[in-house]
Amino acid sequence: MGVNKRTNPSPYAALRKVILASMILVPFIPFILVLAIGYINFTASLESNTIASMQRIVDDHRQMIESFLRERKSDLDFVLNTNTFEDLSQSPKLERILGYLQNVSNAFVDLGVFDEDGVHVAYQGPYELTGKQYKHTDWFTEVMKSGYYISDVFLGYRQVPHFIIAVAKVDGNPKWVLRATIDTQMFNRLVEKVRIGKTGEAYLLNADGIFQSDRRSGGMLMHQDPDYAKYAVFHQGIKTFLGTDATGKKYLYATTWLKDKNWLLVVRKEKADAFRALRSAAYLIVGIAVLGGAGIILIAFYLTGRIIGRMEQMDAEKSRLGRQLIQATRLAELGEMAAGFAHEINNPLQIIKSEQSLIEVLLSDLKEKGQLKESDELADLEDSIAQIQLQVNRCAGITQSILKFGRQAEPVAKDVDLQQFIPEVTGMVAKKASVHGIALEQRIADDTAPIHGDPGQLQQVLLNLYNNAIDAIVARHGSMGGRLMIETGPGENQHVEIRVTDNGCGISPENLKKVFAPFFTTKPVGKGTGLGLSVCYGIVESMGGVMSVASEEGVGTTFTVRLPAVVV
Amino acid sequence: MEKMRMMLVDDEERFLTTTQKLLAKKGYDALTATSGAQALEILESKNVHVVILDVKMPGMDGIATLKEIKRRFPLVEVIMLTGHATVESAIDGLKSGATDYLMKPTGVDELLAKAAEAFEKRQRLEEKIRMAQTRKIMKSPREILRDAENP
Repeated sequence: MGVNKRTNPSPYAALRKVILASMILVPFIPFILVLAIGYINFTASLESNTIASMQRIVDDHRQMIESFLRERKSDLDFVLNTNTFEDLSQSPKLERILGYLQNVSNAFVDLGVFDEDGVHVAYQGPYELTGKQYKHTDWFTEVMKSGYYISDVFLGYRQVPHFIIAVAKVDGNPKWVLRATIDTQMFNRLVEKVRIGKTGEAYLLNADGIFQSDRRSGGMLMHQDPDYAKYAVFHQGIKTFLGTDATGKKYLYATTWLKDKNWLLVVRKEKADAFRALRSAAYLIVGIAVLGGAGIILIAFYLTGRIIGRMEQMDAEKSRLGRQLIQATRLAELGEMAAGFAHEINNPLQIIKSEQSLIEVLLSDLKEKGQLKESDELADLEDSIAQIQLQVNRCAGITQSILKFGRQAEPVAKDVDLQQFIPEVTGMVAKKASVHGIALEQRIADDTAPIHGDPGQLQQVLLNLYNNAIDAIVARHGSMGGRLMIETGPGENQHVEIRVTDNGCGISPENLKKVFAPFFTTKPVGKGTGLGLSVCYGIVESMGGVMSVASEEGVGTTFTVRLPAVVV
Repeated sequence: MEKMRMMLVDDEERFLTTTQKLLAKKGYDALTATSGAQALEILESKNVHVVILDVKMPGMDGIATLKEIKRRFPLVEVIMLTGHATVESAIDGLKSGATDYLMKPTGVDELLAKAAEAFEKRQRLEEKIRMAQTRKIMKSPREILRDAENP
């Protein structure tokens, strides 16, 4: 057993692993699945939401820029159609009109009038451009051809980045052109205005990839966009895509071409910023997974520990019960064997007794007939024969005690009302007590609960205790000053306590340990079998109770019987 | 008055002979049998008032013997002699018709006292039977005649 124990510390090690594994895995799989599915769906919806919002922003922004340009063109068209070339060639009139236009939109920087040969006839604005020749410039050729032109941003004569809107009167005579310069700063602000998140920005590029507005994250007006090649392709509507720019940052792009002008509106946002919610969702899910997983593992360990502990406890209990059963069986076998011996011994005892009686009768016959003379030898013989009778009776007493001890009769248990039962039993010894001058006192508490057991057995226990007490009292006090007290009352844990206290000679500490052992007695040889208390102990135990003793030599002894109370 | 006649039944022969001698000394006539079968055989031929019967015997045991005696000789009083101090075996015997029981080892005086008691009981019973028969005769002597004619 010891060797086996060392090599296999717990017979449940394998079971423990299985329980632990299943307790962790079974909840873990659905847990992870739920998290993963939730994450996938959530990110998909978040991504499409983010992209849709980018598209909406770029669309709104394009419409705004387009309407700005359209309005400026309409302003110029209105001036062109309501005034004659001659009127506007005069500076005061032109100045007034510029004033009106600037009232409508402060984007207008200056206003110029050109004749059909491209000569700057009149100019109103911060620069001195009157008389300059524009006949062969691209914009002039273009405006004369289609009657309308918006330029890219360029430096021109003034060496300042600007762009112009020009409208031409091509169906009249003379043909002439009205041109306005748009404040790039203001236009810049208009384009840049978009702010989405921390890194969201919008900018315009012309067909060659030159910035037509500043870019917040770097990219000067009129500089080349290094990433232009990535999205240079012309397309209808709005295009969204992920791309890495020259600085190596990842962006979510949304692009669209303006309708009236060959400019590309780009709205972009750093990917990390655009999908920030996605990242926090991922963190949240990882957090939940870690915490939940830890929780599952902790609970699995805890519960497995509990289960295994409980099983081990039950095992211990089982083996304890097994040992008890073996002990009880042994005791029963011993009892049966003892009873058998006692029975067998009774037969020879019977014969001895009969023989002894016969000897007695024969002796007295012989004496009557005068065949035996009175002598010391005869007296010794008679004494010896009397002794045989005494010893046979002693043997008979022993065998009868053994037969009682080993008797297998089923006790008949019923509810016993101690408040009534104890005085009855006490009454049986009252006479004996009074003969020995013992004051008998009963204290039966009113809340003494009934018990469940065989009344005959209980009576046997009580009588045994009373008789022992009386013997102890007589040994100390003779026939005066004895006190015997019987107390009953409720004890702990739904038990009833019966205490038998005497002021007899007491029991020495070394004997106290052995009082319940079978065949232990302090009574003179032939007076006690030493079975009384051990039988009592067995009876009380069979009723589910315990029996204990407290004693002091020369003071007295208290026997306590604790029995489970019948719960009413 | 009739003298009590006893029979001792036990497988211990020495017990039988010694007790028989003792009883003889006390002035009582006692028969002995070493088994139930022998006891029944004796009862067939001899008039016995009280049987002292050991419970535990090889072959036919005490209780079986008791039942057989009570079946065939209902007037015979039986006292069980048991080596077991258990009341159970005694109760068994009493239920099956025994008059009383004795526990081994028992003294001869004790045995005699119980036997005398049983004998008295038997006497009373026989007395009653006699009384009843007497009454019957007094009532219709003719019936006696008829009984005599058609036995």
